[in-house]
Amino acid sequence: MTDHRQTRRPYLRGALAALLLASCALFAAPQPARAAAPEQPETVCIQCHGTLPDRLGAPVKLWRTSIHSENGISCNACHGGDPKDAADAMNRARGFLGAPKETDIPAFCGRCHPGVMKDYLASAHGKKLGMGGPHCVTCHGNHQVVKASLDLINEKSCTRCHSFERARAIRDAMQQTEGYIVGIDRRIKGFQAEGVDTDRLGKGLFAVRNRFHTLFHDVDVARVKAESAQINVELGKLDRDLIVIEQARVKRKQAGGFAIAGALLLAVLFHLMKKTFD
Amino acid sequence: MGLFKRLYDWIDLRIGAREIVKKELTGYLLPRNINEWYSLGSVLLVIFALQVATGMLLMVYYVPDADKAFKSVTFIMNELPYGWLIRLCHAVGSNMMVAVLLLHMLSTMMMKSYKSPRELNWVTGFILLTLVQGISLTGYLLPWSQLSFWATTVATNSAAAIPVAGPYLVEFLRGSKLVGPPTLGRFFAMHVGVIPVIIAGTIAAHLFLLKRTGISTPPFGAKDAAETGAPWQPESYHYQGHPGGIPFFPNYALQDLTSISVYFAVFLAVVFYAPNLLFTPDAFVPANPFQTPAHIKPEWYFLANYQTLKIFPSELLGLSVQAAAMTFLALLPFIDRSPERNPLKRPLFLVCAIGGILLWLGLTIWGHFS
Repeated sequence: MTDHRQTRRPYLRGALAALLLASCALFAAPQPARAAAPEQPETVCIQCHGTLPDRLGAPVKLWRTSIHSENGISCNACHGGDPKDAADAMNRARGFLGAPKETDIPAFCGRCHPGVMKDYLASAHGKKLGMGGPHCVTCHGNHQVVKASLDLINEKSCTRCHSFERARAIRDAMQQTEGYIVGIDRRIKGFQAEGVDTDRLGKGLFAVRNRFHTLFHDVDVARVKAESAQINVELGKLDRDLIVIEQARVKRKQAGGFAIAGALLLAVLFHLMKKTFD
Repeated sequence: MGLFKRLYDWIDLRIGAREIVKKELTGYLLPRNINEWYSLGSVLLVIFALQVATGMLLMVYYVPDADKAFKSVTFIMNELPYGWLIRLCHAVGSNMMVAVLLLHMLSTMMMKSYKSPRELNWVTGFILLTLVQGISLTGYLLPWSQLSFWATTVATNSAAAIPVAGPYLVEFLRGSKLVGPPTLGRFFAMHVGVIPVIIAGTIAAHLFLLKRTGISTPPFGAKDAAETGAPWQPESYHYQGHPGGIPFFPNYALQDLTSISVYFAVFLAVVFYAPNLLFTPDAFVPANPFQTPAHIKPEWYFLANYQTLKIFPSELLGLSVQAAAMTFLALLPFIDRSPERNPLKRPLFLVCAIGGILLWLGLTIWGHFS
C-alpha cells in the first residue's frame, strides 16, 4: 500500500499543480468590473476653476447641478477656448469668448438653441432686450441651467418685472400638456429600461416637446391654448401606442402566470406519483 | 399501446433496448436514503440543454458585428415573434445555471460526496463552475450594450495586474488595445463554439465518473442494509453499488421531474415577472466607447470578487487572494481527508463552511451596495 502511494504521489502532485495553475488562469480571466469604471477626464477649465474660491470657483459648483452637466455640455461648449490645454484655455485665438454682454446673450445661447432664440426674439420679452427686458439668463440661470419646464413660470420669478396674472393664465393653459408630456416621458423611459424599442416613440415625444417648448416664450394666451390643444392630440397618439405595449405586457404576464401554475402543478403531480413508489 | 409495444420489440430486437433499460434505469439502484439535493445535477442538465436550444435560436437572428449586434438584439426582443421569450430564457437561464451549480456544489460539500474515491467528480464539477462563469462572461458582451461593453472593458483590464504577461494577456483577450469589434468576434467564437464544446465534454467526463464510482450515500438518514460505512480503501477500483436500494426509474426519475418542475416555476417567474432583476437600464443602451457610465457593476455571482478587489490596496494581491481561495475550493477533496462524512460530527468543518458561505454572501451584498 505504501508503494502504491509513493508511485501515485508524483502524478498527484503534477495534477494538483496543473489544477492550481488552471484554476488561477480560469479565475483570473472572468473578473468583471473591478471597480467603478474610470470617469471621463475633466476639462482644464474645471480642473482650475474647481479649485478657485468665490466668484471664480462658483460657476463650476453651479454647473455641476445643471442640465448642461447632466448632458455632458462642458464650459468650452459655451465659452469656447481649448479645454485640453491650460495655456490656451482662455486664448481668444482658440475661440475663447468669455462672458457675453447682456444684449449678446440670446445669440450666445442661440448657437445651440436657434429655435428657442427665434421664439424669444419674436416675443414681448425679446422685443425688450437691452431695454430692461428679460433674457435667457434672467429665467434659466447662467451656470446652473435647469431643464426647461413650467416650474420656471412662477410668481417669484415673474413678479420681478410685472404682475403674475397673465403668466398664471398661460401656465394653467399649459399645465395639463406638461403633465401629459412628463407622464409619457416616464412611461417611455420605463419601457426603454425593460428593453422595449422606444426609438420611434422617443423621437415622436422629442418633436412634440420641442413644439410645446416654443410656447414657453409666447405671451399670447389664446395662441398658447390653441397650440396646447393640438399638442395634446399628438400626445394622445403616443399614449395609445404606449397602451398597446402595456396591454401586450399584461397578456405576457397572464401567460406567464399559467405557465408557472402548470409547472407547479406538474411538480405536485410528480411528487405524488413518487410517493406511490416509496 | 399495441403499436408502441411492437415498436419497442422492433427496437429491442436490434439494439437490446430492454437490457439497457434494465441496466441503466429500472436496475440502476440508488441509496435508500437519497435526498432531493441529488436531483440538482439533473436540473443542471436540463438548464444546459435549454441554454443550447435558446442559444441556437438566438444565433439565427443575432449578428456578431459591432455595428449590428445591438440592433439585432433589439430586433429579437421587439420584432421577432416570441424573440423576447427566447432571449429572456437564455439570459435568465445563464444566471440560474450559476445559481443551481452553486447549490449543487454546496450540497455536495455538505454531504461530503467529494470524498475518496470521488475527488475527480468534484474537480470536474469545479471546472464546470469556472467554465459556466466563462461562458456567462463571454455572452455578456454579445448584446454590445453600454453595460456589456464597459463591464468587459474593466473585466479584461483586470488581467493587466498579472506581472509581466498582464498587458500582453489583456491585448490577447481583447484582440486589440481596447475593447472593440475584434473583442466581439473573439468572445462570440468562445461563447458559441469553444466553451460549450468544452462544457459538454466536461459534463460527459463528470457523468462517466459518476457511473464508474456509483452514487455516494448521503451521511443522513437510514442507510442501506448493505452499507458498511467504512471508507473506501484505495487498493483497487471498486464500484459502489446499492443492493436493496431504490431503482432510478421510476422512483428517483420522478424526484428529478419534481425538482425540474419546481425549477421551471422559479425560472418562469423571473422570466415573466422580474426579468429586470438581472438587467440595468444600461443594458438597453447601445455601446458607446466615448461615454463611460457612472457605475459598472458585475453580475451578482462576481460581486464578491469585485468587492474583494476593492478591499485590497493592490490589484495583484486581490487577485492572488481570490486565486488562493478558488484553488483551496478546487483541491478540497485532497485537503479534507477525514473519513467522517457527517458535517454535524465535524464542528470545525461546519464552522469553516458556514463562515465561508457567510463571507461570500457578505461580500456579495457589500459589492452590490458599494
